[in-house]
Amino acid sequence: MSATSAALRRRRAATAGFHLGAGTLAVLWLLPIALVLVTSLRSFDDIAAHGLGSWPHSFTLSNFGQAWNDGGQQRALINSLLVTVPAVLVTLALAAMAAFGLSRYDLPFRRSLLLLMLGGNLLPPQILLIPVSKLSELLGIHDTLPALVGVQIGFGVGFYVFVLHGFMRSIPPEIQQAAVVDGAGPWQIFWRIILPLTRPALAALSALSFTWIFNDLLWAITVLRSDTKMPITAALIGLQGQYVSMWNVIAAGSVIAAAPTVIVFLRFQRHFVAGLNLGAVK
Amino acid sequence: MTHHHASRRRFLAGAGAAGTAALLSGCVTSTSSGKSSSKGKVTLQSNLSAPQAKAAMQDVVASYAKKGSGSASLNTVAAETFRTQLPTYLTSANPPDVYTWYPGSVADAYAKKDLLLDLGEVWSSPDLKGYSKALNSLCTSASGKKVFVPTTYYWWGMFYRRSNFAKWGVREPKSWDGFLDLCDKLKSKGVDPIGLGAGGNTAWVASAWFDYLDIRINGADYHRELLAGRHRFDDPEVRRVFDRWQELLPYFDPNGTAVAFQDATTSLLNGRSGMMLIGTFFADAAPKDALDDIDFFRFPVIDPKVPLAEEAPTDGYFASARTGRHAQVVDLMRYLAGAEAQEIYIKGSSGTVLPCNPDVKDSGTALVKKGRAHIEEAAEITQFFNRDSSDALQPTADNALTKFIAEPKQIGSILTDWQREAAKIWNA
Repeated sequence: MSATSAALRRRRAATAGFHLGAGTLAVLWLLPIALVLVTSLRSFDDIAAHGLGSWPHSFTLSNFGQAWNDGGQQRALINSLLVTVPAVLVTLALAAMAAFGLSRYDLPFRRSLLLLMLGGNLLPPQILLIPVSKLSELLGIHDTLPALVGVQIGFGVGFYVFVLHGFMRSIPPEIQQAAVVDGAGPWQIFWRIILPLTRPALAALSALSFTWIFNDLLWAITVLRSDTKMPITAALIGLQGQYVSMWNVIAAGSVIAAAPTVIVFLRFQRHFVAGLNLGAVK
Repeated sequence: MTHHHASRRRFLAGAGAAGTAALLSGCVTSTSSGKSSSKGKVTLQSNLSAPQAKAAMQDVVASYAKKGSGSASLNTVAAETFRTQLPTYLTSANPPDVYTWYPGSVADAYAKKDLLLDLGEVWSSPDLKGYSKALNSLCTSASGKKVFVPTTYYWWGMFYRRSNFAKWGVREPKSWDGFLDLCDKLKSKGVDPIGLGAGGNTAWVASAWFDYLDIRINGADYHRELLAGRHRFDDPEVRRVFDRWQELLPYFDPNGTAVAFQDATTSLLNGRSGMMLIGTFFADAAPKDALDDIDFFRFPVIDPKVPLAEEAPTDGYFASARTGRHAQVVDLMRYLAGAEAQEIYIKGSSGTVLPCNPDVKDSGTALVKKGRAHIEEAAEITQFFNRDSSDALQPTADNALTKFIAEPKQIGSILTDWQREAAKIWNA
């Protein structure tokens, strides 16, 4: 009798400990985000007088307007979407086709091609900044959005091919053989059989690549020069002054800049988890 | 089927080869044709990204267009992005025409590489006749060409809050000993006498202390030579600077190297620290109702025999040597050097900067009037550590000074290290 109650008590304590620990972790995790949200609702004079870490003494929504209009975030958000959406679509289309060819057919040099793509990912992008900048100048596309789209596609495609290749290879060959018996050509196999089966991976990758490209700053400031063409990340650091930063406006701008990626993540969340699980267990 | 494949493959190979050939020929031709187009507006690349300064620049550009002699397109880039990308802008095949930047050794470094336009034509205009001799030599490159047009400057001083000084019953000190007494008195009242704010990403603020102690003890000439690499950081003269600094270290805010200067400003305004050696830009970080309460005094003189020098960093413009719009650039530069443009800028920006053109009215506040007199009394003007040396040397100073503040006893080895790091940059 006492043994079972002791076990029960121990299990309860463990549950309580787990909830307490996990809860604390969650709060710690959310604290910086809460700080940004609170800061974005304070006035500059309040922050200047009491400090960034103090309890808020003011409430205003004008920071969002200031970031949106004066900070040029409206234009920048459009630019970001003009770069991100085409870049994600083209990258995934190219990567899916390449991965299909490499994983389903016995092409010559396919191992070296895959290794080349993996190797390209190991290369730090910093050493390529100057070549990319000079090359875009030579091609006459420096300071244009298509140049940035091109760069993002070029640097993304290798990794996606690698991931999609691994995924497509796990699709049983019998499915493809059945299609061949039924008279399907390579294009039909790709479009009607392999691609639908790859959807979870594609959804996961599109959420990932959207976040990466949308949050990129390095390539944007390498390839672009005009403030009217800069994406949201560049506009966000533009809110920082030379000496003094208006943290409230920057916080409001960060909230605006984070919104699209959060929306995309929530929209693809289900696929995202499924995409990560699939391929893990066969 | 196979034939079809082969031809497609051959087509792709051909297209690839043609593309590569076009690229390669682009490489060859572009080096010879490094000129931007000669039509269209003058492009003005600006690092003034703070909302107020940005709006003030927009006003200047708009009034230039209204004048009718030409027009400029303003392109504002985040200050930090601008700083890292400036060399790329200047060396690109199609560079922007005009840039906001600093005169002195910073501009000279670019002039040595033939990247800056000779602005002699601008300086010969009547608008620039009244510019001081110091500005004249500041904007002249080592080869004797005028490469820079200055427009505004600001000053550094020991800033404090008047109501706090009244509350503590202390006054501005007149001498070094008076300064030490002031520090003692503040400390006895439980206030950190000297705020710093060299934490976060503003470690460079500490260089102001090095600059000022050096120009007070060794003089401005020695200071400039030291930063240009003609003396060594492990020389006894530099050691004297740090010996003097050590006297003051107990009075520094213990969080001095932990918090950024903006947070240090908040401490100063709230009376947790007494005063701060800082530039006037810090007023932008103060709430509006505190602005009238802010005052400053001169960094105390240590050796009266040393000619009085002050730090007054100058801002202005230079132009790319590769611009194709030479005449338009000269016209814009003349306008920027004139009284109208500087008045518009000062009115629109935070109003703590001073105009370089002597005909221009400043913002007229008591603080600015005092600042103008403060600079006019000085026999020598220095810019700031990075502006008198280079952006590359600044991190070596940040390292050395942060280490010194943490472990003042190690000063010997800190200076040896600093000299070694600096030598790498001077010899590069």
